[in-house]
Amino acid sequence: MEALLAELKVKIVEILNLVDVQPDDIDEEGPLIGGKLGIDSIDLLEMVMMVEKDYGVRIDNKELGEKVFASLKALALHIEKNAFAVSR
Amino acid sequence: MTGIRVYVSGMGIVSPLGASLSETTEALRLGRKGLRPLTLFPTARGSGCLVGEVSEPVDAASVPRTHGLARMAAAQAMAECREAPDAVVLGTTTGGMLTTEALLRESVRDPALYRYHALASVAEDIARRYRCTGPVITVSTACSSGAVAIKVALEMLRSGMARRILAGGADSLCRLTYYGFSALQLIDPEGARPLDRERRGMSLAEGAAMLLLVANEPDRAIAELLGAGVSCDAYHPTAPDPRGKGALKAMEAAVEDAGISLADIGYVNLHGTATPDNDLSEARAVNALFAGRRPLVSSIKGAAGHALGAAGAIEAVVSAIAVSEDLVPANIGCESPDPELGLDPVRVPLRIAPSAVLSNSFGFGGNNACLVVGPPGKYGRASAGRAPCHPLAVLGSACITGAGDTRGTLDGLSQGRPCQGMLSLAEISKDLPPGDVRRLKRLPRLVLSLAVAAHQDSGKKDYPSSVFAGTGWGALSETHNFLKGLSETGERFSSPTDFVGSVHNAPACQVAMRFKAVGANITTTGGDYSFEQSLMVAGLMAGETDGTILVIGADEAHPELSELFDRSVLPEATLSDGGGALCLARGKGGSGPSVGLVFFENGEDNARVISSLVRALGGPEGVIARYGALFAGIPGGCRKEGVEQLGAFLALTRFKGPVIDYRRLTGEFATASAVATVAASRFVAQGGIPGSLFGGKDFPLHRKGGLVLGFGGFVTAVEIAPQ
Repeated sequence: MEALLAELKVKIVEILNLVDVQPDDIDEEGPLIGGKLGIDSIDLLEMVMMVEKDYGVRIDNKELGEKVFASLKALALHIEKNAFAVSR
Repeated sequence: MTGIRVYVSGMGIVSPLGASLSETTEALRLGRKGLRPLTLFPTARGSGCLVGEVSEPVDAASVPRTHGLARMAAAQAMAECREAPDAVVLGTTTGGMLTTEALLRESVRDPALYRYHALASVAEDIARRYRCTGPVITVSTACSSGAVAIKVALEMLRSGMARRILAGGADSLCRLTYYGFSALQLIDPEGARPLDRERRGMSLAEGAAMLLLVANEPDRAIAELLGAGVSCDAYHPTAPDPRGKGALKAMEAAVEDAGISLADIGYVNLHGTATPDNDLSEARAVNALFAGRRPLVSSIKGAAGHALGAAGAIEAVVSAIAVSEDLVPANIGCESPDPELGLDPVRVPLRIAPSAVLSNSFGFGGNNACLVVGPPGKYGRASAGRAPCHPLAVLGSACITGAGDTRGTLDGLSQGRPCQGMLSLAEISKDLPPGDVRRLKRLPRLVLSLAVAAHQDSGKKDYPSSVFAGTGWGALSETHNFLKGLSETGERFSSPTDFVGSVHNAPACQVAMRFKAVGANITTTGGDYSFEQSLMVAGLMAGETDGTILVIGADEAHPELSELFDRSVLPEATLSDGGGALCLARGKGGSGPSVGLVFFENGEDNARVISSLVRALGGPEGVIARYGALFAGIPGGCRKEGVEQLGAFLALTRFKGPVIDYRRLTGEFATASAVATVAASRFVAQGGIPGSLFGGKDFPLHRKGGLVLGFGGFVTAVEIAPQ
């Protein structure tokens, strides 16, 4: 779990090009979207793509997306539960 | 009062509902649905989504499918017209993309095969077929393109610069939009259900619609185009303002423009895409506008799908059918209306005369346009007519080239040094907050940077309220990345951010968001004449704008795509890009010069274009008396014709002042004329042209102005006059 969280932080900063954000700045419990990271609905969809591409976990509707992306921890839990293979 | 009223004297439509007016009317009368599984190209994920694919054969052997659809609609609209239209104005978002995707996939590198890639090539193809020698304008404001094109045509007719215009929109299905909207999770695979409580998204569609619009009543008028209004949400790159403020503003503007009362509107043809967000914000706007009165409302997108750039034109034709055939279309796909919307959609087609119809179109980036269509001569008032293309006072300006920002470029030009090349992304973005532009690639950064610098140069505290942007090729980096991502993953994944950024109007919407510019926001595209188009549209729309106006022309060079798309870009040449921006105000004012587009004609099949240009400029005497220097834009791809045209112009006018062949300095990119216009306006303000620029002595202008001429496929003139 810790490893997955750390990996996700790096990926999020990279794919969303979050300038001025270090992976460790991301609060694992805090809201991912609309928080101080400045992540919005388009970024969310970018993360949806990453999660499916890298972990084989599909998040194909808004309701599920809102639940899964409630926090980084929620995202990691969802991936852990549903992933067919966690890429390392 | 002698005024101008604008009528629909012919129209054509191709959509999932049928390939003719009669088929479309029949489908609307029966409430038929035109959605079916996609067959046009195989999809990675099985049978894919229901789409609105045109089932009739489209002649796409020699041209891409969008062009084929446009030809079908134009043939219907022009069937009874023996004369050439004075102008063609079309909206599109994909142009030749379906063909381009296939070519890129095969790694085809022959530029000749990409000659119909450009969005503008659709309108140019139609202009060629109907021998239109006037302006050919292409609007690309995402899903409102077709409606905005009709608004632009309306203003051209009211201004008197044209009496007969073929206007409309066309878009074919393609992978870019199919996978792009999927990546945004805006698609309902089972078919759109507008206004339904269970709605999940839209159905992508294709089609084309054209209206032959004429000033003053023809023998046989089908309907009257009473008015139109535009606005910008300035809220988000894709999502509508949830309060519906932008939508409301555009509807109010359209009704006011039409000179009718709200009570005259019997039917609202909704944008109604069936995405949860659109329908909610649109419903709020409609309810706010009508405040208790309940006109009939329906969206045809459950039946016909959403044909993007064609949708606004398709729905304009449907609105004209409504008033001419006494037929209010049903809101197909809605089983149980969402109570949260407070709208009661028409469930079955109604055989009643709807009085006037309000038709809504809203696009990505909050580019909104609403049209008002009525039976001929019954409602509204004649427009008093406006002078075409008001002179606009230059309050501020900025440019970017390979030589740097405004200062770097002007220093370079003043010393006659080439300004070719591409400025680094870091240099372009140096005054933009990194967090704000983290998702933006090259073109939106260029545009945003130019906008900020031009506004700063104006010294005005207030931000501009309207934005007009011209780009020859749009956001090439985003388009390239999206298509590359798609093909590398076997069409399974591609970046939603890239898709959002790939639409031509995305950069102008970034400007609107930054400046909270809620007025008109119109992106035009037309190769080497894109900036001229945006200046023309700005002039036409200036009469209804408060506040200052930004006109921007910019293009990015792309190592893979530029040489395929732009025939002026040769593989061995230095890739160059950049652009220019002007912060403008209506009328004269301030100490700067004024700028205006004074000539725009199709040079193809138009032997008299240069004499026509000289006449428009007041004859040889007028040219000599008013202009001290010429900035000649001769694109490399049509160097020979361009040089001949310039030669003919100089021979006719006997002009002896400096002539600056500016592309030799700026390098080849479509909106190099925006850089030339900014430079010319600075030199006119200074009262002289630096000698090094043209290889002579410093040249005093003696209170004369400058002329930025465009040659090649089109011939254009932008006048810069001293105050």
